[in-house]
Amino acid sequence: MTKNTGMYASVLGGAALVLGVAYGWTARDYRGEELETLSETLRQLEARNATLAAQIAESDGLEGRIEELEASLAAALQAVEDAQLAAAPPETAAEAAAAESQDTTEVVQTVALEFGDPARGEEVFGQCRSCHQIGQGAEDRIGPHLNGIFGRRAGMHDGFRYSDDMAMMGADGLTWELETLNAYLENPKALVSRTRMNFAGLKDPQDRADILAYLRQFSASPQNIPEAAPTAQAREVELSPEVLQLVGDTDYGEYLASECKTCHQQDGSDQGIPSITQWPTEDFVVAMHAYKRKIRPHPVMQMMANRLSDEEIAALAAYFAQLE
Amino acid sequence: MKLNRRVFVGTGMAAATSLSAPMVHAASHGKPKVVVVGGGAGGATAARYIAKDSAGEIDVTLIEPSRSYYTCFFSNLYIGGFRELDSIAHSYGTLASDYGINVVHDWATGVDRDARTVALAGGGSVPYDRLILSPGIDFVEGSVPGWDVSAQNAMPHAYKGGSQTELLKAQIMAMPEGGTYVMVAPPNPYRCPPGPYERVSMVAHVLKANNPSAKIIIADPKANFSKQGLFEEGWQKHYPGMITRIGPDFGGENVSVDPEAMTVDIDGEVINADVVNVIPAQKAGLICGAAGLTEGNWAPVSGHTMQSRMDENIHILGDATNQGDMPKSGFSANSQAKVAAMAVRGALTGSRVFPAKFSNTCWSLIDTDNGVKVGATYEATDEKIAKVDGFVSQTGEDAALRKATYEESIGWYQGITSDMFG
Repeated sequence: MTKNTGMYASVLGGAALVLGVAYGWTARDYRGEELETLSETLRQLEARNATLAAQIAESDGLEGRIEELEASLAAALQAVEDAQLAAAPPETAAEAAAAESQDTTEVVQTVALEFGDPARGEEVFGQCRSCHQIGQGAEDRIGPHLNGIFGRRAGMHDGFRYSDDMAMMGADGLTWELETLNAYLENPKALVSRTRMNFAGLKDPQDRADILAYLRQFSASPQNIPEAAPTAQAREVELSPEVLQLVGDTDYGEYLASECKTCHQQDGSDQGIPSITQWPTEDFVVAMHAYKRKIRPHPVMQMMANRLSDEEIAALAAYFAQLE
Repeated sequence: MKLNRRVFVGTGMAAATSLSAPMVHAASHGKPKVVVVGGGAGGATAARYIAKDSAGEIDVTLIEPSRSYYTCFFSNLYIGGFRELDSIAHSYGTLASDYGINVVHDWATGVDRDARTVALAGGGSVPYDRLILSPGIDFVEGSVPGWDVSAQNAMPHAYKGGSQTELLKAQIMAMPEGGTYVMVAPPNPYRCPPGPYERVSMVAHVLKANNPSAKIIIADPKANFSKQGLFEEGWQKHYPGMITRIGPDFGGENVSVDPEAMTVDIDGEVINADVVNVIPAQKAGLICGAAGLTEGNWAPVSGHTMQSRMDENIHILGDATNQGDMPKSGFSANSQAKVAAMAVRGALTGSRVFPAKFSNTCWSLIDTDNGVKVGATYEATDEKIAKVDGFVSQTGEDAALRKATYEESIGWYQGITSDMFG
């Protein structure tokens, strides 16, 4: 049973990788539609897998069905590979794309990727800033800092606690380049199924092109990190230093947190509801005050934050920051 | 106390080792003893929090007759085809193996409040220093003339999770083309205020796909109901012409049934029905009455600690209580359990006690990716648990928000069931 489950997990991982590759390819491949269809099949298989995984927890008579599923997954993977082989021209896909750059929209998109507008990208990056820092002095927050992201191996940045799936993708060889970042930004969970990054994705290719152009300025190649921080790290709400420096009572925080844990799971699962475990203290405090002042929109969170005092918010922040 | 054949320990890895000496162990210990009756959203949560936070200083025994617990919340989604029945079933294995809770699968039949013991249907009794009762609901006899629990196979209530839910779904799927489903809705107060109306939405969803000329009739004794504007907007949009609700001004409170003839009499008009879903008037789970802890149909409690107003050694949680402004819901019971767990630990081990805070949110699904919610926060006053603040989804919200609300409810289900069962 355990062995079977492990095998099934690794097949899933492989499926996610191939799916990711398939995503990268669609940007410059003439048979993108075929791959989309196959990707959809894979997504459906993944959904079936998730259902099965839930059933495995309840029952141990499912080996037969797991084998069946593994077989169908393997067949689907083979089909994707075959389609890619068939679709790829003899020279590399990129060369082929360059040769035909006049008449396909996919290639226009690639060009847009190459020549996105970094100034506009900085604006688009605003929605990433509550979790990711970039530029001089950038540190890991909810998400890792993004200096030098180009060429960085996924899930391998020292000192950051990645989701298991992201770590596995890195171990399997995923490296952040133009194409992989583009696929990840378009639909994070399509590339890394259970990534902790709780972001729906940027559907507009121009948004992605611009943000990638912005991010590239902070990678060693093609440009060095600028001497001065490009933008001040504006907070969502202005808080007095006293409020930011309150030291929370973790015992009280633990009691108050029991209310949060009805919805936010301690183990970091984030299906439908984001994880708040190990959130950096200051980010937690800023976010809760943003809900309390109704700057952030969610009605449940506005209500929950509304009755918390500054001390109670500090207590919760202190407790969740240290939670394993 | 002697080991009885009907006293079993929970399933899971701990079962084999614990079975050799389940209750004897607790009874011979010098540690304070907490007994929890009922393994739902209130009881399972309270048992887990006391065991977890006391780190072995308190012996916790959980008495619950079912080995597999089917949550009432999300059981409507099973009826609508959005969940498998297995996905809402939970075992007590982790509470036994990882939290060291003595899980006893038996019925608690009575409480000797002077001797501080709980009697079990299987014989024997369990001693306690503090008792937590979280028995859920039972039905008020005679509230729907013609119906009693012996008729629950012909006319299911499906208002406790598990086999009743399965039966109701099977009956709906077997309805003849163009058949009639009648719901007899309950009077206030009752478990899960939006529950009957979410159920109607889910029944409509499956009938629309399988039996689109079928009809749904609701006989309702209440003038208004939870999230009414949201449900009525959704029914108009997704199931036009399928659902008729007969409120009290048209005789919806004057209903009797004949389970043999499968008829429902609504204010003198007799309807031949194919499925009759009778949700009777409700009262606190039987053990509360048996222990002399009820006033009227419910058990009054203090909001500060969830202690019974009649016995300070007994805390009562969830649907069975009369506590004030909180709705009877799994979320409420889970919230109350944490306040009770803190109070019980404080009383038995001197751990820190903080002011009681409560909250509740109820999500309902109207159709695919069309979720709505209502919620509030509460605080304890000397008189009752009093509402502080609240919100409800708005009519006319866009599809993306409704989808996000539904996805949020799936996340909540994962969260609360992990919070209950470990």
